[in-house]
Amino acid sequence: MSMTKTQRRRISATVRYSVLTLWAIIAFFPIYWMVSTSFKIDTQWFSWPPVYFPDPPTLANYLNVWFGAEQYAATQYAISSQKPLISMMNSFVIATTSTFLAVFFGAIIAYGVSRYRILSEARMFQLLMLRMIPPIVVVAPLSLYYSAIGLLDSRTGLILIYFLTTLPYAVWMTKSFIDEVPREVEQAAEILGASRWRTVFEIVLPLIRSGLVATFLFILILTWSEYLLALIITKTQVTTLPIELSKYQGTTEGRVYGRQAALAVGITVPLMIIGLIIRKHLARGFSFGMVRR
Amino acid sequence: MSVAAVPAASVPSKPAARTRARRHSIRVFRWSILAPLIALLAFILLPVLFLQLYFSFHQWTVYLGSWWEADYVGLDLFKEVLSDPRFGWAVVRSLVFATGSTIGCFVVGFALAYLMAKPFRGQAVYYLIFILPMLTVPVVVAYTAEMLLYQSGPINDLISRIIGLDFKPMWLTDPNIALPTVMLLEIWNWAPFSFIIMLAGLAAIPKEPIEAAEILGASKWRIFWEVQLPLLRPVIFLALVLRFLEAMAEFPKTWALFQGGPGTATETLPVYIFLTTWQYFEISKGAAMSYIVMLLMIGIVLIAIRLLRREKSSLDSMYGQAAHAEPPA
Repeated sequence: MSMTKTQRRRISATVRYSVLTLWAIIAFFPIYWMVSTSFKIDTQWFSWPPVYFPDPPTLANYLNVWFGAEQYAATQYAISSQKPLISMMNSFVIATTSTFLAVFFGAIIAYGVSRYRILSEARMFQLLMLRMIPPIVVVAPLSLYYSAIGLLDSRTGLILIYFLTTLPYAVWMTKSFIDEVPREVEQAAEILGASRWRTVFEIVLPLIRSGLVATFLFILILTWSEYLLALIITKTQVTTLPIELSKYQGTTEGRVYGRQAALAVGITVPLMIIGLIIRKHLARGFSFGMVRR
Repeated sequence: MSVAAVPAASVPSKPAARTRARRHSIRVFRWSILAPLIALLAFILLPVLFLQLYFSFHQWTVYLGSWWEADYVGLDLFKEVLSDPRFGWAVVRSLVFATGSTIGCFVVGFALAYLMAKPFRGQAVYYLIFILPMLTVPVVVAYTAEMLLYQSGPINDLISRIIGLDFKPMWLTDPNIALPTVMLLEIWNWAPFSFIIMLAGLAAIPKEPIEAAEILGASKWRIFWEVQLPLLRPVIFLALVLRFLEAMAEFPKTWALFQGGPGTATETLPVYIFLTTWQYFEISKGAAMSYIVMLLMIGIVLIAIRLLRREKSSLDSMYGQAAHAEPPA
């Protein structure tokens, strides 16, 4: 009896490890391929049979796409000259500013909802529509409106629309943290005569500091990788990294996989670092704070 | 509902003037919180919705002079869109894509979460690897997929070696496979979403009913279907609904990889709207189409919200905060 139980346990452990390992390979292989291609010399980007390990590994792709170092490449592949660094700066400014605005105003709204019910539950769900209706349905009028008021192709334009579309996440996620703060502290502050705004900024928000950081980093993932709105609102003056990457597609020079991969790694690594830092809060973020761990 | 949330001091014996001042200060506080949100909606969303309505009823393309002088055409544009078979197929494709990838993400994510629910050696490493695809920028997923999936590329090469046969589907150029290819990419990209949600769900359901069923000698299979699954219902709804909505809006991968092709094989709603507006420059037709899609999506979202609201209270009690979070009404 105990023998069969041990056996059964061993079998179930084997099944578990093999299924998990299989998916781990599926999940990891494309990422491995992107990274390894970024270190390959140009004859190995697109060869038959495929080259699984860069041999010899080279930094030429990185030096070329990120720093415009043309001596590292055959001239036909040298598309860029330092543009990606400018795009990275744009991406950084746009993503951090819009995310900061969303979290700052989102947290204040969330406080109002949690403690003063400034939005009913029905209104809170209506707020989610800002996120749930696909942005494609408003991008055409948005771009015409932006061109009329001079926000097309500007950082401000993109910041404002990211602020608006990520606000539901910010409100819901910070509300889930504020709900966990006991009210006694605020009541004490009120009795001691602190104004409502002082209570928010000096008591409640500091108490949910780590939650605010998690919310900020979570929304940063969304704004950093956004594609559609950036594609339509930015033209020539302001490009973000995802748009910069798509410029490498269908160039007349043909497939420039190594260059694309070097750029892609640079876009993805910051995101992965952020995601791994807040891995415990990802479920809460994506579920608008409805699921917690 | 206006005074419902006043926390402590609304005691009746206080002088009326003080209560009034207090109410006034709360009203000011509430409106100053809401002001930025209202300003943002008024400054961006309202004009955009107005323009969209305008273009849906006025025939204009970029080749015709000033847009504000466009001709009023009544419902013609809506008729044009609704009688356009390409639009109908785009609706079908979007629904198929969203349904298929939602189910795929859920099955993979739930299976992984179920296998990860109890602690075991190496769990943390698996968790880190499993969430990586979600932390990859969607356009990057598309371009990496192209590097992997061309006909003599590494994926076909690896599968051929493993199964020992020549395995050469044309993932990127066969019109019959193109949409499933994007679905597989969507599943690869977002199965981690279902995984983390279901893992959080499994961690939160009470242990006692499961232990009781085990003591009573129920099989794992029966415990799963009759105890765990019903307890997980709100989390399952959440995982399915949110994923479906995101999949309906999927654009970066489909566009970056296929631009709707080969032929019209991957022309989902977002792609067709994009093509109409930015490749054919039929702004008005695109606006009317957007309007119809917006109404369709509002319908879907309202159903989704109904489902979520129904499950929200069970979720709140699962995560044990409802009691002190809601102010005494």
